[in-house]
Amino acid sequence: MATSDAAGLILPFGTVQRGLRRSLRDYVSMVRWHLAGLRIWLMLLGSVQALSGVGFVLGISLFFRHIPTSAALFVSTGVPVINLVMVGLVFGPQLVASQRTAGSYEYLRTLPISRAVTAAAWYTVCLISGIPAVVVSLVVAQLRYDLPLHISLMIVPAILLTCLTGTMLGYALGHAVGNPMVTQLVSQMLVFIIFGFAPILYPIQQMPGWLGDLNWWFPFRHMAVVIRAALTSSADPAVPTAYAVIGVWAVVAAALAGWSLGRRP
Amino acid sequence: MGDLRHPTGGSVDNRRAVKAASDEWTFHVDHLVKHFGTVAANDGITLQIEPGEVYGLLGPNGAGKSTLVKQTIGLLKPTSGRITLGRWDLVENPDAARQLCSYLPQAQMPIESFRLREAIELAGRIRGADIGRVRRRTDELIEALELGEWSRTLGARLSGGVKRLVGFCMATISPGHLVILDEPTNDVDPLRRRLLWNEIRALGAHGSSVLLVTHNVLEAEKAVDRLALIASGRLVAEGTPSSLKAADRAQLRLQVMLVPGAETPAQPGWAGPPVRVGNNLVTTIAESDAPAGITWAASLIDSGVAEEYALGASTLEDAYIRLTSDIPADGLHGDE
Repeated sequence: MATSDAAGLILPFGTVQRGLRRSLRDYVSMVRWHLAGLRIWLMLLGSVQALSGVGFVLGISLFFRHIPTSAALFVSTGVPVINLVMVGLVFGPQLVASQRTAGSYEYLRTLPISRAVTAAAWYTVCLISGIPAVVVSLVVAQLRYDLPLHISLMIVPAILLTCLTGTMLGYALGHAVGNPMVTQLVSQMLVFIIFGFAPILYPIQQMPGWLGDLNWWFPFRHMAVVIRAALTSSADPAVPTAYAVIGVWAVVAAALAGWSLGRRP
Repeated sequence: MGDLRHPTGGSVDNRRAVKAASDEWTFHVDHLVKHFGTVAANDGITLQIEPGEVYGLLGPNGAGKSTLVKQTIGLLKPTSGRITLGRWDLVENPDAARQLCSYLPQAQMPIESFRLREAIELAGRIRGADIGRVRRRTDELIEALELGEWSRTLGARLSGGVKRLVGFCMATISPGHLVILDEPTNDVDPLRRRLLWNEIRALGAHGSSVLLVTHNVLEAEKAVDRLALIASGRLVAEGTPSSLKAADRAQLRLQVMLVPGAETPAQPGWAGPPVRVGNNLVTTIAESDAPAGITWAASLIDSGVAEEYALGASTLEDAYIRLTSDIPADGLHGDE
């Protein structure tokens, strides 16, 4: 009976390697793993993301007979935040929850890839799925409202940091909460909070004062500030603080995710 | 941290040298204790697997097999004790454990969206092997396990047995020095099961230590070099399949298929303690009592209590049942 040993390929291959070269190779492998593993979903997710962004952009005009440019600009520059955080913050933890339910979660944790590289690969996938939706939403908004958009280079750090914080928050939620049902519930609640009670698509002045103050402590309001400022090249004095708050959330969420992934009960 | 790249040359000539050098990769579990609250899932387990050895880990549900595996691969931390592979302390270096060990979990791999070949190749790349090696080994595995007809099929469309084989390929595409296989033959058809055992034996023959977790006692008997029986978190027996059956030597296994609903018949004094699973009643008898055993079983059929019987040599399963249902306080060892 033939076995697979023709070229000695079966010889044990375990090595303990660390360093940048190994990390880069692992990063490429894990991005490919995620993209292949989500190939059916990613197309669907990207389409739903783009459609929901376009839906917000076009739908807001139905509230007004003549929509003020300022209102159209506000909504259109808020939609990218939703495009950028939705996959990492909502779909990410739901994916982890489904892996826990299916029993494949533990296998994925035993892959010989560092936690940081795994997180970086997932962040890349969230960017890949979010950025096309941002572009589609903005193009449709521009065609529909002829907006005074002046996109500055600051759009790059704004997009990268907004997506990073959303991804790390979702990562922490998915990995730190052991019960898949709780993860599903919390991620659904986050959708509710982001759409209804975070000043992303409408000005904070529209909210009760206490709710606006409460929002200062959370990252979503600040994400809208940095994205909007970069899309309109406006000199909003709130931008530095906004970057700081989003950055702190990214670091705390990444630390929590790293801790929960490395935890051995 | 140093790079411990193992010589991986392909020629038969240097394979002997590799085999000799691989002695540095002995797997040790030393007085391993794992408590969950007040429950001792592992209660002082000590075992050793030499490079090239296929080592079976058997035991009933909840015996502590998975707990041992999860501590080895870095998913759980022991309460006390050591786990080492060569010079690496796997408890202190869980990242090294993940690089040095290959693992096939009991649950199916998450490959619904992957094509069969793609899943295996990606797993190989993630394990750190170069692309040429990965492609050649994938070809070999697909051929050896006769998976060619599904090579481009999506995982979601594969049967449970084929998925299981893909999982095995993913775990062993670039085998670690310790290969942990948790119920590798689950759902696999009898023909490919035979091919799979050949591959498992080949892993050992080329220098990996194989830790095989299974409930399938009869299959394990043919495939492993040594095995351990674990019950209630303790290693209750260890040795070769033959040594564990030694106590049952000169014993025969009398199996009686009872009529559904029939009460368990009174056991003759010369028969061993009976084990009934469903309508299947199994007991052991001395070879000298074979005529009496046949007469007794035939009388059960005549009286309408049983439908058929079989008399044969005792198996490892008999030893398994004996050892795991009557655990001595201080353990029991086969050929140690």
